[in-house]
Amino acid sequence: MVAGTGTDTIIDSELMQFAPLIILLPMLAFPVILFLGRVFNRNPFWKDTMKEGGIIALVVMASSLIISLLLIKDHLGGFASMKDSVDFLWLNSSVYESGNLTSISFGFGIYIDHITVMLLFVASFLCLLINIFSIGYMNTDPINDNRNHRFYAEFVLFCSGMLGMVLADSFLWLFIFWEIMGLCSYLLIGFYYEKPSAAYAAKKAFLTTRIGDVFLIIGLVMMWDMFGSLDYDVIFSAVEDETFMAGVSSSTLQWALGLMFIGAVGKSAQFPLHVWLPDAMEGPTPVSALIHAATMVNAGLYLVARMFPFFGSEYLQHDLVDLAFIIALVGGITAVMAAAIAFVQHDLKKVLAYSTMSQLAYIFTGLGCAMFLANTLDWQTDADAHYIVIVAFGAALFHLFNHAMAKGMLFMASGSVIHEVHHAHHHLHHHDDHHDDHGDHDEHHEEEFDAQSMDNMGGLASKMPLTATAMLVGSASIMGLPLIGGFWSKEGIIANAWRVALEDPRFFLPAICVLVGAAMTGFYMSRMWLKTFAGKPKTEVAAHVGQTNTWIKIPLFVLTFVTLSAILFAGMGFTHWAPDSEYGLLSEKNLFEGIAYEMSHAFANGDTFFFILTYVAIAIGAVLGPGLALSLYGGSLAEGEKVKPWMKPIIRLNAWVYNRYNFDNQAIANSGLSRALENRLYIDHYYDMAMLKIVAGFSDKSAEADKNIVDGVIKKIETGTQSISKVVRSMTTGSARDYILMVAVGTLGIFFLLWGVA
Amino acid sequence: MSTVQNVEPFGDGFIAALCPELIIFAGLLALIIIPNIGKGTFRIPGTQTRVMWLFGGERFKITSNPKMPAWIATITLGAAFVQTVLSFQDGVDRTAIVTENGTQLLLVNGFSRVFEMIFFGALTLAAFASMNRLEVKGIGPRLSTDDLYNNRRQADFYILMLTCGLGMSVVALAQDLFVLFIGLELASFSTYVLVAFYKESKVGTEAGMKYFIVGSVASGVGLYGLSMLYLWAGSLQFDVLAAQFVINGTDPLPLIGIGFVLVGFGFKVSAAPFHFAAPDAYAGASSPVAGILATASKAMGIIGLIRMLLIVASPEASEDGTVWLTLLGIISLVTMTWGNIAALGSTNPKRMLAYSSVAHAGYMLAAITAIGAWNWDDSLAGEPGEAAVAVLTAVIFHLVVLVAFKLGAFLVLSVLESDGDASRLSSLGGLAKREPFLAVAMFVFMISLAGVPPLAGFVSKLLVIMGIVKVAIGQMGAEIMAGGDYGLADVHWVWWLALAMVINSAISVFYYLRVVVVMFFEEPEEGRTGPLPSGWQVRFAILACLMVTLFMGVASDQLLEICEVAAKSLNYSWN
Repeated sequence: MVAGTGTDTIIDSELMQFAPLIILLPMLAFPVILFLGRVFNRNPFWKDTMKEGGIIALVVMASSLIISLLLIKDHLGGFASMKDSVDFLWLNSSVYESGNLTSISFGFGIYIDHITVMLLFVASFLCLLINIFSIGYMNTDPINDNRNHRFYAEFVLFCSGMLGMVLADSFLWLFIFWEIMGLCSYLLIGFYYEKPSAAYAAKKAFLTTRIGDVFLIIGLVMMWDMFGSLDYDVIFSAVEDETFMAGVSSSTLQWALGLMFIGAVGKSAQFPLHVWLPDAMEGPTPVSALIHAATMVNAGLYLVARMFPFFGSEYLQHDLVDLAFIIALVGGITAVMAAAIAFVQHDLKKVLAYSTMSQLAYIFTGLGCAMFLANTLDWQTDADAHYIVIVAFGAALFHLFNHAMAKGMLFMASGSVIHEVHHAHHHLHHHDDHHDDHGDHDEHHEEEFDAQSMDNMGGLASKMPLTATAMLVGSASIMGLPLIGGFWSKEGIIANAWRVALEDPRFFLPAICVLVGAAMTGFYMSRMWLKTFAGKPKTEVAAHVGQTNTWIKIPLFVLTFVTLSAILFAGMGFTHWAPDSEYGLLSEKNLFEGIAYEMSHAFANGDTFFFILTYVAIAIGAVLGPGLALSLYGGSLAEGEKVKPWMKPIIRLNAWVYNRYNFDNQAIANSGLSRALENRLYIDHYYDMAMLKIVAGFSDKSAEADKNIVDGVIKKIETGTQSISKVVRSMTTGSARDYILMVAVGTLGIFFLLWGVA
Repeated sequence: MSTVQNVEPFGDGFIAALCPELIIFAGLLALIIIPNIGKGTFRIPGTQTRVMWLFGGERFKITSNPKMPAWIATITLGAAFVQTVLSFQDGVDRTAIVTENGTQLLLVNGFSRVFEMIFFGALTLAAFASMNRLEVKGIGPRLSTDDLYNNRRQADFYILMLTCGLGMSVVALAQDLFVLFIGLELASFSTYVLVAFYKESKVGTEAGMKYFIVGSVASGVGLYGLSMLYLWAGSLQFDVLAAQFVINGTDPLPLIGIGFVLVGFGFKVSAAPFHFAAPDAYAGASSPVAGILATASKAMGIIGLIRMLLIVASPEASEDGTVWLTLLGIISLVTMTWGNIAALGSTNPKRMLAYSSVAHAGYMLAAITAIGAWNWDDSLAGEPGEAAVAVLTAVIFHLVVLVAFKLGAFLVLSVLESDGDASRLSSLGGLAKREPFLAVAMFVFMISLAGVPPLAGFVSKLLVIMGIVKVAIGQMGAEIMAGGDYGLADVHWVWWLALAMVINSAISVFYYLRVVVVMFFEEPEEGRTGPLPSGWQVRFAILACLMVTLFMGVASDQLLEICEVAAKSLNYSWN
């Protein structure tokens, strides 16, 4: 039961040699797709059969997933050995190695432990599904014609960045892949670079995350200074080394970790570096799914989860409590703020974007609380404390898993809706064209219509049954409706936040935030679903929406099942995922015992306080929030529309509540708070002002200085060396006589030098 | 390591030991004979009977094919190259070719094999890439006499390449200074003619002439030094010379003799102030030939320098080595700085590459100085041979990978030369639009020359600098790690050569990147916008260079092992 033992055993897996392929295959596909796309653009075979590179990407991502699964399978075999590291040295020669401590090697290594295994699965699995979705989404949109190869090339590079970050064995490589993702997010968000808003959003995302990255790299430099290396192996064994830790200042370490956390805040779009994420919706929908579910935003969480050994170290007990509080607080604030802004969004994807921020904030809160517990409890020796820490950490990571799956599905489903609404609009348009001779009518129509606005939808439940179902399941998972997806992890996060709050009163703020946030989540997710799928169609277009294509349906179908079967994952011990050998995936308990255990834990907690808390959380998350939404939005479907049997109860309930308890919320909608929320609490506004006033002014001045002073000096150096070069070159006269003279001069020089010695 | 196996000429094991050279020799015979096979008849004296003897007369269609010599040469050199590479597979046997009284003339070991690999590799690529350089005036037996002679020149060109390869490998194998000099001269004469081979071009002829004259003077000085050494020791065997040097190395005769021999080798590696003919020669020669001069020929000179150094660099030598160190250090510093400064303003890409090659010679010399420093300075003695092996490995590795990116750069220029001209920087203008592959390849070669990670040029430069620093710090390294307090004043002065290398590398980035700027951002010259002349051979050779440049930057382990074997085989006490 005692932790720490056996975690260092290195499993001897032959597959480790192939692990780099998971990263290399997509990375190599990047130039290949780009090159083939350039060469064969507009070629019918390339376009129709190869889907402009989509098939290549598909093959590559499928290979990555297969290797990942094999690797994961190997790491599930033995629980005592969940950590693995293999090095692929770059500068490695016996010339170097024969030295002593001074030998420097720089290489790439694969590091696999519990966190890696889960994120590897999430990333490779979702990347593949999003790839399938992209083929259905991107290739059927005429505005993407002949440039999809660029999309797929950047897509595979993005995936390779994420997979590399997850598998890397040092903070340095983590940072390198982190930046590859940063680049790709810039390229993909700005995919429609001809649209000024997209170009602006790409810049905004890039610059905002860059602010975090500056802090991250400062933190990494401090780490290097303290530990002399950035390898996980070296650092994590150093923090368990008493003599070494005696020489490390815990406050400096806390600063270093805190700076690294700012990097995570930027990448995972938490307050106050959250402003880039809603704008990132300018990218194509598969990109939104990729960034918000599968890859980039998880990177920040992964980085924080990687810090666990510091918090868990025996020699840093109680030293990192402040940082744990800051992590939880940032999470708590963002959870409520983002959920509030999501209340007033009309754009389908924007609601999901704010929901992403809010849910990631939950995970941050969960991680912060787990870190607090690890840092204060004597978890390495005390079995009960150990159990608490592992479960708290596992809940946060499991929420990451559930959120990734559900949010990936929600984005793809929203993409499916937008795609079909757009399509229906075009179709209708075309139809009009035949009867209406006034061309300008069309253009007018085009400008007005927004295919992403929920105000143009409604009543789609009967027209897109699979999409509606997927969206329903996804929303339920995010809301934490009992027995579905996120429920299993969200309860844990809330419970742990309160557990911590009882020990340290500072934590009451994040604890209250996550509890209130649960109700808010229930409201805005229900609102989104009801506005889109329930009620009567709000526009003519919405009435003509048809079914979507198979490429889009596959991932929705798969993910619906994954989300619904979260209990199976929980039963297998996913909630116990933590850096420890005892609580592995597929632990000693069998599946049914696991499920029974999870059930009893969620619904019949022995501790009275937590028993009450559980039901309060369920009540406000699954009843209060959704109930309010049911009374405000939706309503009965149009006459004669049939829905699938499993959606009938919801539609009926909605119709009943709507007809009975609907009230006019105009007053609230027009209030100052609502307007502030619609303007994103003016945070973007202030950032813009700060940028214009301070940064732009400073950069004008420095541009001037650069032009006059720096360039001037450089030019002087350049002309100076050029004139020296001229003199030197003029000695090469072109006459053999002079050359012989120089040889003679050299010979005589040597002669006299040696003669002098002799 | 096994002991040396002595083999007499044509004795047992002779063919196995000298396999690459014998392949070259066979190829040489084939090159001379095959183009002459024809329908010639021979009249039996005194009778009217004519017998077909297949020599001379009207040639067959296949033997008169002007592409034939190029293929023979490429295949021969390629086979020799593969043979040398394969010999590394199960460890290199040490085999000495001895005279009847037991004097070692040639020694086959890791060192010689690795240099043979360099020579044959460079020559194979150059021969293959030259296939389209010489104009072919029609194919077939019925050609005018002029055209026929023109096509004959093809054979001449490749014969010279093979003799060049033969001479170079003799240099690598030689255990006797005299044998070494013969090999050196054989290779040198071939290169003099190769430089002047394009008799239509005035520049080329003039450059070849100048190269020959200055080279002769340097060789003369070297031979004079050789005769002084013979006078002193009565033999030119390396081990005899080394043993003699330990006993009475303070004599003026060996000192000045060795100094003069260094002049001869200094010219080959184009060290200042013997480098002046090099830029002219490179600019005048056709680009593949210039590539050979910058890589294989330079490696040959380095062999000479290493050999001479090991004679004088015995730690037991009676003579104080500081004078050699000072000499080499000054030459190295002047050479690298001179080369870089001159390259800065050079507007002819070939001259620029020539000067860059001078700068690289300076880096090599700095490394060789460091080997000496380890040997001579007592305070630096660490593990026996460890530092010396590190530096030597770095030097050999650099010479191997240099073939890839230096020759590759010249081959890109070669394509432009076929297009008309490559003597101005602007000839490279718009290359990125005209043929992206060539531009990207050139870009990689340039940044590899500048030493940008993760390319081969970075690894080699890093290893050299690390080796020098390792030598300079010596045993202090361990003490510094243990908390010892040392300053720059305690470090051996070769450390400053490493610093000079770093500064020079920084300067060099300017002129390497200027080429890139011209290729990617400037418009092509007037009338040179069309596609470049075709020829898959040269592009294939460039691709091979590109692959090696990229691959050796990230996966250099095996090559480094080979280089280490080579470095260690110079002195078996290092094993």
